[in-house]
Amino acid sequence: MATIRSRSGLGDEIIDIKPPTFLERVHHARTIAIDALEELYKSKTAFAGAIMLVSLVIILICAPIISEYNPIKPDYDSFLQEPSAEHIMGTDRFGRDIFSRVLWGGRRLVSIAISAVIFGLLLGIPVGILSGYYGGYIDSIAMRVVDGLLAFPGILLYLLLVTLAREWHLEGFWNDLILVFALGFAFSPEAARLARGAVLSEKHKEYVEASLNTGEANLYIAFRQIGPNCMSPLIVESTVRLGYAILIIAALSFLGLGTPPPTPDWGSDLSAARDYMETNPYVAIFPGLAICYTVLAFNLFGDGLRDILDPRVVER
Amino acid sequence: MLIYTINRILHMIPVLFVLTVVVFMFIQLLPGDVIDTLIGDEEAEDPATRELLMKEYGLDKPIYVQYGVWIGKVLQGDFGKSLVTRRPVALELFESIPATVYLAVVGISISMLIAIPLGAIAAVKRNSPTDYTAQIVSLIGISIPEFWFAIMCVLFFSLYLGWLPSSGYMSPFEDLGQSLKYLILPAAAVGFRQAAYTTRLTRSSMLDEMNKEYVDTARSLGFSEKKVIYKYTLRNAMIPTITISGLQLANLLGGTVVLETIFAWPGIGQAIYLAIIDRDYPLIQAGILVLGVIVVIVNLLVDLLYRVLNPRVALN
Repeated sequence: MATIRSRSGLGDEIIDIKPPTFLERVHHARTIAIDALEELYKSKTAFAGAIMLVSLVIILICAPIISEYNPIKPDYDSFLQEPSAEHIMGTDRFGRDIFSRVLWGGRRLVSIAISAVIFGLLLGIPVGILSGYYGGYIDSIAMRVVDGLLAFPGILLYLLLVTLAREWHLEGFWNDLILVFALGFAFSPEAARLARGAVLSEKHKEYVEASLNTGEANLYIAFRQIGPNCMSPLIVESTVRLGYAILIIAALSFLGLGTPPPTPDWGSDLSAARDYMETNPYVAIFPGLAICYTVLAFNLFGDGLRDILDPRVVER
Repeated sequence: MLIYTINRILHMIPVLFVLTVVVFMFIQLLPGDVIDTLIGDEEAEDPATRELLMKEYGLDKPIYVQYGVWIGKVLQGDFGKSLVTRRPVALELFESIPATVYLAVVGISISMLIAIPLGAIAAVKRNSPTDYTAQIVSLIGISIPEFWFAIMCVLFFSLYLGWLPSSGYMSPFEDLGQSLKYLILPAAAVGFRQAAYTTRLTRSSMLDEMNKEYVDTARSLGFSEKKVIYKYTLRNAMIPTITISGLQLANLLGGTVVLETIFAWPGIGQAIYLAIIDRDYPLIQAGILVLGVIVVIVNLLVDLLYRVLNPRVALN
């Protein structure tokens, strides 16, 4: 317990500063959550996106319970069936239930995308905050590197990294890890640039000066005080980026550069379905719809968050 | 303007440096001996030839010397020989550039023709059913994976209706009508996604412009609403749209890898994809470098164009 003795005109008074008790913490967290939900409810897009995302996450987490079929084991008695009560999305060329494959593929895809974005943030934010806070040569050098990495058009940087992974014969988990690394690495310059921009507009504010005057360490000010105030553009960008990451992973595996079959994957399932879609379009439709749904959910949520977090836009 | 141009060109140097370093490191990071990767197995077997080649590429020297030697060759247009066709890589690449430019330019033009009027109308009739429809369609547009959209187009227009060829390419100089037939589906797939982006962009920049004071002034002077919007507001709102479309054009040149693969379009994206499949490293390396440089140059031109279109920027 710490005490502070303040000398005001009214005489000495002692203020106790206690660490909050557990119940107080819970109460605080609850207030924050309720406030956040109220804000969320104000934006129709964010709310719709949030509902879509929550249901997606629940379905994906419950995939082992929901899906009755093995997504990998072939069943030659029932190949290329149309949607029915047994197989609600039909079956693919090996008789595997498409619905289970979509669910299990989604689990993998969404977790890769989320880990990739988190990795990119962890890599980019410190660079952005430090270069924005210190400025000078560090800043110029960091930003030139960022510009250089951003010059890689579209999918090419991923193609380079995925090719490298293939040549080193990385498979299964390691291949997924490379995807996480590639997508995160490609996101990091964007994250660094956003963090830097926010720090630049934040670092001349009074609270920073006050902290400097009371002798706080530079790193403490940069990360603990300025940092949290720079998060809103990053949160919006990360949400939108999650959708983009899913598109990229699906595109790479569509090109045959992702995880090799029989692992369920929306992209490679689509690419395999191309040979059968003339007679059986369902094989090509459902994995694509799954990608659309997921990406749309992230985009809606990101759009809505932007409206909520950027007051300038709301006024329109 | 001249000083700005020179300044901007100087800024390109570090960007190009990062780009070349990453592309150079790609070959170094591949498993196995660099000489085998670059020359192919058969030619590198003889120890004497090997020695000679090592000298030529500077492989017996430290890595920064190797980088220097490589850059020197690249500046002279020598990217090495393709491991598959044994022809100079530069030749292979430059043969495939026209097809990509053709597709990208037509795609971007289609998207701008759709998106600018749509975005403008959505902004003018804000919060009307038209606006909501435009917003929802464009949001869906950026969420649909382009390869899935392409497959669905093929499924419907080529396989089901049989109106258009499902893939292939013909030069417009050979037979314009036939060439356009091949072009429609890929260009629509490119254009749809771009149109979605551009609509959102035009709408938001239009809304920004409509809140400015000169619009009120124009109205108070008694100009008709049509004149205010189409003569003054839209013109200013087009500036960011054109800029971003330019940047997207650059991105498209690299990002059409997936679409070119689906439609067997013999552009630079497909060349890189086939090179990855065939493990043709010199071609991968050169292709990505060339595309990166194109992006950097297009970005520069767009920046300069922005200054020409919007002279007010120079005053700040």
